[in-house]
Amino acid sequence: MFGPLGFSLAPYIKSSRTLSGWFKPFAAWYAQAAGYRQFGLKYDDLLVEERDDVQRAIGRLTTREGYDRAYRFKRASQCSVLQKQLPKEEWIKPEEDVRYLRPHVVEVEKENLERQAWDTASVKRN
Amino acid sequence: MLAARASTARSVSRAARSFATVSDTAGLKLAAIDQGQPTAAVTFLVKAGTRYETKPGVAHALKNFAFKSTPKRSAIGTVRESELYGGVLSASHTREHLALTAEFLRGDEAFFVDVLSSFITSAKYTRHEFQEYVTPVVESETTAATSDPATQALEVAHSIAFRSGLGLPLFAPTHNSITAEDIKSFASSAFSKGNLAVIGTGIDQATLTKLVEKSLGSIATSSTAPTTSASKYYGGETRLEAHGGPQTVFIGFGTTGAPSAELAALAAHLSTQSAVKWSKGLSPIATSIPEGTSVQSVYLPYSDATLFGLLVQGSTAAGVKEAGTIAVKALKDASAGIKGEDVKKAVAKAKFSAASATDSRDGLISLFGSQILSGTGASLDAALASLDKVNEAALSKAASSLFKAKPTYVAIGDVHSLPFADELGL
Repeated sequence: MFGPLGFSLAPYIKSSRTLSGWFKPFAAWYAQAAGYRQFGLKYDDLLVEERDDVQRAIGRLTTREGYDRAYRFKRASQCSVLQKQLPKEEWIKPEEDVRYLRPHVVEVEKENLERQAWDTASVKRN
Repeated sequence: MLAARASTARSVSRAARSFATVSDTAGLKLAAIDQGQPTAAVTFLVKAGTRYETKPGVAHALKNFAFKSTPKRSAIGTVRESELYGGVLSASHTREHLALTAEFLRGDEAFFVDVLSSFITSAKYTRHEFQEYVTPVVESETTAATSDPATQALEVAHSIAFRSGLGLPLFAPTHNSITAEDIKSFASSAFSKGNLAVIGTGIDQATLTKLVEKSLGSIATSSTAPTTSASKYYGGETRLEAHGGPQTVFIGFGTTGAPSAELAALAAHLSTQSAVKWSKGLSPIATSIPEGTSVQSVYLPYSDATLFGLLVQGSTAAGVKEAGTIAVKALKDASAGIKGEDVKKAVAKAKFSAASATDSRDGLISLFGSQILSGTGASLDAALASLDKVNEAALSKAASSLFKAKPTYVAIGDVHSLPFADELGL
């Protein structure tokens, strides 16, 4: 409904200094409390990948990023098998939790929208 | 009859004259000719052929990167918008030049010059476009080239004849390590003033100058334009196993220095192409080679070297051997002396093929491209006049001097039965 990345108020909050001042500590707490970092995952690993556009974006990662992503998934499944979190020193640190996939998804989405726009363009010759 | 001939001569010289003016617009060479065609075309010719490449296959990949996304338009935007205007965008590369061409209806020149120049000045060379669009095309072009024995024979012949520079393959290797970054740095050094010529057909020189000044005026003068060393001819022999295609033998000779009119006339003399359909013509080769074999004369002039040769193809190795022997004998006969009548015939044939090449855009650019890039006037008159000077002595001297260097010999197909160079009388 809202595209691969879902609906977000973040750009609006980021644009206002007061609002982002209020929300930042809460957001940092929430991200940690969500628990994915404790299993060695980054936020972009949780993006719904069963979509053509996200698959295309994953294809655009560098080989290194792709291998790292696969490794994080394996490690997380192992944690799931053991019913255990990773040892604390192996948790993903907040500064490591970067949106490595988001720029690619945004780009693919933009391309698809442009293709749609060209497909349905009406031509006026003046 | 006479009147008709006179008018042809006049129109040829008019065309040659209007193309002969190469103006220097802010460091860019610019030439335009308007013969009243219903469509116009603009070609950006860059010294970025394979002989200048920094890494194997970069020039080929750059050609396929043409018209991909720029800050102004995305790749799909470029294609769809050109389709709306009814234009055709194409890119091609040779050993010396990269040509980016837009063909369009008269009146749309502002848009298409902008498409071409925005690629030249600000293409993005993104990694994902390289992986998703460029690499598959590069690979399939390489595969197509290697599966055609004639193309492969010429590729191998170039590498034996010239080794580096002109000897570099036209197509990227199947397994290569080219990255989008390599292409970007090659392009940014090649797309600079003094390395670029703009050639327009069906467009007024003043209009084109104005458009190019506006869009390319700010392009940098690169001090690090890709360089190449002067060509040197080596020669040699090689045999390659191949299946499925016709048995192929290429007998080549190379010369260095500016291409000579004598070799063009010699190629026309040996050419088996007849003027009339279903006839063998009067060529010294075509009448005597066995059925099922073909001999083509190959004349490839470059700015500082020429590869001249005979491409022999046939379904059986024995037939190729016989046809090859006849072809070599014809060349040796030519070096021993050619009859005056044959020389006249060859010169007329060569003149016609040079003149008729200028009817098409591709021919025009391949004939005049390097002259326009070097800033000297490009005129058909000069090319025809140098062919007119060819006489019996000069032609047989050119043919006999070919044999002084080691010939380039390539055999592709059934290497067990294809002949060796000495078996053909070389």
